[in-house]
Formats: sequence, C-alpha cells, structure tokens
Amino acid sequence: MRHTRMISLAAMVAGSGLVLTACGSSAGGGPAAASGKISDDKIVLAVLNDQSGVYKDLSGPNSVEAVKMAVEDWKAKHKDDAVSKNIEVVTADHQNKPDIANTKAQELYDRQKADIILDVPTSSAALAVATQAKTKKKVYINIGAGTTALTGAQCNKYTFHWAYDTYMLAKGTGGTLTKDGGKKWNVVYPDYAFGQDMTKSFEGQITAAGGAIGQKVPTPFPNDNFATYITKAAADKPDVIGTMHAGGDLINFVKQYNQAGISDQIKLAVGLMFITDIHSLGAEQFKGVTFTEAWYWNFDEQNRAWADKFQAKTKTRPSFAHAANYSAAFNYLEAVQEAGSDTGDDVVAKLEGKKINDFFLRNGEVRAADHRVIHDAYLAEVKPASEVKEEWDYEKIVATIPAAEAFKPVAESGCSM
Amino acid sequence: MSAQLTETTHVETAASSAPDRRLNPFVRAGLLLLALLVVLALPWYIYPPVAMDIVAWGLFAISIDLLLGFTGLLSFGHAAFWGTSAYVTGLIAIRSGLPFPVAILGGAVVAMLIAVPTGYLAVRRTGIYFAMVTLAFAQMIFFIANQARDLTGGENGLQGIPKSFFGIETVETDPFYFYYAALPLILLGAFIAWRTVSSPFGRVLLAIRDNPARARALGYDVERYKIMVFVISAGIAGLAGGVFSVSHGFASLQELVWQTSGKVVLITVLGGIGTLWGGPLGAAVVVLLEDYLASSGFNGIGIITGSIFVLIVLLFRKGIWGTVADLVARIRSRGRTPGRRDA
Repeated sequence: MRHTRMISLAAMVAGSGLVLTACGSSAGGGPAAASGKISDDKIVLAVLNDQSGVYKDLSGPNSVEAVKMAVEDWKAKHKDDAVSKNIEVVTADHQNKPDIANTKAQELYDRQKADIILDVPTSSAALAVATQAKTKKKVYINIGAGTTALTGAQCNKYTFHWAYDTYMLAKGTGGTLTKDGGKKWNVVYPDYAFGQDMTKSFEGQITAAGGAIGQKVPTPFPNDNFATYITKAAADKPDVIGTMHAGGDLINFVKQYNQAGISDQIKLAVGLMFITDIHSLGAEQFKGVTFTEAWYWNFDEQNRAWADKFQAKTKTRPSFAHAANYSAAFNYLEAVQEAGSDTGDDVVAKLEGKKINDFFLRNGEVRAADHRVIHDAYLAEVKPASEVKEEWDYEKIVATIPAAEAFKPVAESGCSM
Repeated sequence: MSAQLTETTHVETAASSAPDRRLNPFVRAGLLLLALLVVLALPWYIYPPVAMDIVAWGLFAISIDLLLGFTGLLSFGHAAFWGTSAYVTGLIAIRSGLPFPVAILGGAVVAMLIAVPTGYLAVRRTGIYFAMVTLAFAQMIFFIANQARDLTGGENGLQGIPKSFFGIETVETDPFYFYYAALPLILLGAFIAWRTVSSPFGRVLLAIRDNPARARALGYDVERYKIMVFVISAGIAGLAGGVFSVSHGFASLQELVWQTSGKVVLITVLGGIGTLWGGPLGAAVVVLLEDYLASSGFNGIGIITGSIFVLIVLLFRKGIWGTVADLVARIRSRGRTPGRRDA
C-alpha cells in the first residue's frame, strides 16, 4: 500500500498548495458591514474601465490619472476641513466583458471597500454594474457608456450618468445640422442594436427639426468594404450623409468616403466619434466631418488650463471622458464633504438636483428625477490639416446646444426609481 | 481525412486510457473526497462570485471533455448551449419568479432540445467539419439573440435576473451562501458526466473514439451514440450556463459569442482532456488568472493568457491534470518493484 499513501500525500500537497495560493491572492468571503461617518475611515474611488482593449485610449489608464488629479485638487481645496484625508483610488480592467465588470464591481464594493465606481464603458457592462450599485446601495457614476437605459428603463437611485448618451448625440448632430439647412439626410448604419438605436434617435431629431431621412442603408457589422453603401447613399444627392459606425469601422468608412470624391458636395455627419479617432487617422481624413462633443479641450481658456495640467501628467491631451471622470470624482467628493458621510444614501441626497458649473459641466445639473447629468453639448467640425496649429487641435466648435435641450426630457425618460 | 483522424485520436488514447493508470478504489475515493473538500472550501479562500465562476466554467469544461476526451468530437459551438441556457434561465427567473434551481433546470432542458437538431446534423461529419457545423449553429443562435431584442435585450443584455430561493434572504443577497445553494446543481452535472463515462454507454463512446469503423462493425449505431452524448453534454453545459447567469444576475451576448466556445476548449485542453478532472482545474487557473490580471493594472492581459496557453501546449501536452497523473504513475511504478519484493 506504500504507493497508495504516496499518491494520497501528493494529492494532499497539491490540494493544500491550491488552497494556499488562493489564500495569498484574495481574502475570504462572508458578509462584512461597516458603519460610521466615513466607512473604514477612508474614501475609496474605483475606476472600472477598459485598460487594455479598444477603449483604452479614449478613457483607460488616463481616466485613472484624471481621477487622481481630482483627488489632489480636492485635498488642496479643503486642506484641514476635509471630511477625510485618507482617499484612495483603485482600478480594475473589465476588458469590455459584462461578466468581468459585474464580478469586479462586486469585488470593488465589497472587498476593496469602494464607495463609488466611475467610468465603465460598454453598455452591457455599464448596466450590469448599475444593478450591483443598486443591490449594494453604493454610488455609481457612469461616464463611458452611451446607453439611455441607464437613466431610462433601468435607472436606479445610486446610478448617475455624467457625460453623454445616444440621445445627446442625435440631438446635437441630427437636430442642429437639420436646423442649419441640412434637410435631406441619408443614413448608413451598422445593422446591430447600437446602429439601429442611433438611426431611430437621429430620425426623431431630424424629423422634429423639419428634415427627413430619405434612405436608411444598413451594412453588415463588422465590415471593411463600404464602397457600394456609400454610392447608394450618395445616389440621390442628399444634403447630409450620416454614419452610425464606430471605431475601426468608422475609420474604414471615412477613408472610403473620401476616396469616393463626394466629400465636397455632401456633408458627412458621424453619430459617435471621439477625438482619439481623429488622432489615430489624422485630421485630413476627417476634415469637414461634423459630430457632437460632450466637451472639447481647446474650447476656451478654462478647458485649456485643465488640459495643460492633464498633459503635464500624461503627455497627451484629454478626451471628454477624461475630463468627465475628473469632474465626476471631484463633485462626488464635494457631495461627501457636504454630507459629512460617504454612505450611498447620504451622498445621493446631496448630489440629486445639484447645480454644477465647472470646466466640464457648463450649466450643469444633476437631474433628481432620472439622475441624468445635463450640461451644454457642442457640435464640432473637424478642421482641415492646414488649420491644425498644434497637436490634438483638431476641432472647431460650430454650435453650442444648451443643457436644457441637449438631453432627453425627464418626461420621456421612462425612469421610475 | 480518416488517416488524420486516427492520428489525433491516437495521442488522446495514450494520455487517458492506459490500463495501468487506473488508481485503486481507495485512492479514487480519497481524491474524490479531497476534491469535494476543495470545492466546499473554495468560497472561504476565494471571493465567492469568483469561486462560483470557477465551478461553473469547470462544469462547462467537463461538458466539452465528455465530447472531446471521451468521444473524440471537438465542438466549437458549445457557447450556444451555455448561452441559450443563460438566457432561458434568466427569462424564467424574471418572468415567473420561480426559485433559481428550477429556472436553471429549465434552461438546461432547452439547451438539450436545441442540441438535438444540431447534433443530428453535426455528427454526420467528423474532425474539423464537425467543429465547423457546431460553430455555424452557435453563430446562428448568437445572431438570433442579437436580433430578438425584446426578449434578450440585445447589446444591453438581459439584466436583473433574481436569485429567488424559497424566500431565504441570505442566499438571495449574499454570494457566499448562494455558492452553497447553487453548488448541488454543479455537482449534479459533474455526477452525470462521471456516470456517463463510467457506464457501458461510456465504454461504447471510447470504442467510437478509438475506432468508429470497428464500433460500427460490432453493431453499434455510432451516429445515435454520438447524438446522445452530444445532447447530454449540451445539458451539462446548460446547467453550468444557468448557474453562471443567475450568479451574475444577467445574461449577455458575451455568453453566446464564439470566443466563449474557444475559451472553454482552451480551459479543457489546459486542464487535460479525457480526464474529467482537468476541466475544473483548467477553469481554476484561467478564471483566477483573469481575475488577478484584471486588478493588477497590467495592460496586456491577452499576452499573458496566450503565452501560458502556448507554454502548456508545448511543454505539457497532456494538460495540467494529465501531466500530474503521469508523474504520479511514474512514482508509483518506481515504488512498485521494492514493494513486491517485500511481499
């Protein structure tokens, strides 16, 4: 029986090894509760976003930097009367997968004692985290995701939506361009939920502004060759062609749009675009393209001043998501200070209905009814390369959409908390 | 084609069914007990939702192993069953408010139902063609789920799946207790898999894997056996998928996407095919790694998991469990000679 014992021994060793490694990597389960004014004597801000994939440049690690900047600035502002000097910033990579976002959100709230989760791009991940915020009764401010469901059908008491959503994009680009004379639209969109939703939102705004969509041209998703769709959309000479593509597909679309030689006669409007898209392809490719921005770093002196501070830290210019993360983190801390507590309910009470004017939120307000944070939005046009004076100086703001008009009215939100 | 097939199955056979590698009943009982202890202790050492992920993926890998290791069929579309069950479980739980084990069993049954036509068409082919047919079905289901947005929520996923459990609040809110409430379903799946491979039915599967022509000549209806094991495997994958979606409280397209099918095959190969033990072991490695890397602040998760996979495939071709079992067998045979002299 000697060999038998040896095997059992080996198995035991292997087993306990497994258990030990597990021990080392993480703390155990069991419920934990904390009370007092500031839980665990510290305020923990967690940034949960894409640190390694397609949204890395748009928000990613630099959003964490932005949140750290907010913490420093807030400490500098309050010095000795700060409700807590012990403020931590933690981060996790959700890899754009909703299941990982979900587990990580739970871990951040439970294990890392996070009092707030910020950012969370990708709508399915964003909604999963909203559910966690609701069960854990902890604050969650979304910045990176575009879905209106966060402040609509799936809204809850602890979830706020800070920067943008698909309604804002449609209102800004569709509504404003139509008012300015682009009455006849054709829309090319990728045939999946996001593309269909965006097309529907655009149609609503364009019709409301007195225009009409002539053709709606669906394309496969993802797709490389857009030539036939562009020809089709350009055939009846519309005023504007709208594209609802994003990321790599958008870049292909714009390249082929330029090659089609129609960019001088027909205006191109993009549903969702970020300054990082322009940066990766170069301004010349995007010249004349119109889209809606939540914030632009070179809009005025105030924005620029912040962008300079940001650049000193990160060696790059901020996207609106970076600015929004700073703004959300800073105003969260302000709310904690006012409440004198970091308990979810107390902070939510202070945030609700708050009017905010900072470098990111112009004429901002945290709507109490649906937790949509409204603020001025901007219609931007990409400059031709000849007018770009410095790196990242890609946009010309052609119109400002007032906060009250830029977002979906509360009555239409479908939110009941 | 057939020459290629025999060659690949040859390697698998060498890894799994050499007669002298069967452990004696005491050791096997001991191992089983140890495994049970580890599984029971898991949420004390690992964050409970992560522990739940490990056992769910482990069971999912077992369902793949049943096909790949014991029947010689590589399914590249198992996400279809895992994902379908995730959605169906979610829909049952949301719309009817039934306790979650009932919802999960419902999900598993639906997964088995869709496995019938898939299996019926797929088993007519072998090797890469079998993999492609299963992949095609999985893609079809992915697109249906994507388009049926009123039912599935499309991109946003099906959110807010409740953990109803006979009104016992600790289970419904605390993932630590939920783990123990859901574990029996996982163990049930593992038991079905074990029962399948250690029955006469399982012996026929091995015969089919090693030499389908001979099995047919002996009078076995090879296709029917393959369909049957395919459906059983889909049911096990369905159990795992249902547990996963209830544990997370949502089902998303991520559950149906082809990368999920790839990930579970990777887990199975990593752990060691043809062993049943390998799957859970591989799942523990992959899930813990993903969990650890997600908060490590490292920016290239794909590079790490990819290199580990390449290393394992190059250095330990039999997977983790296969390699360990081999080592143990070697120690054993070394210890055997003096042992006999003594006796």
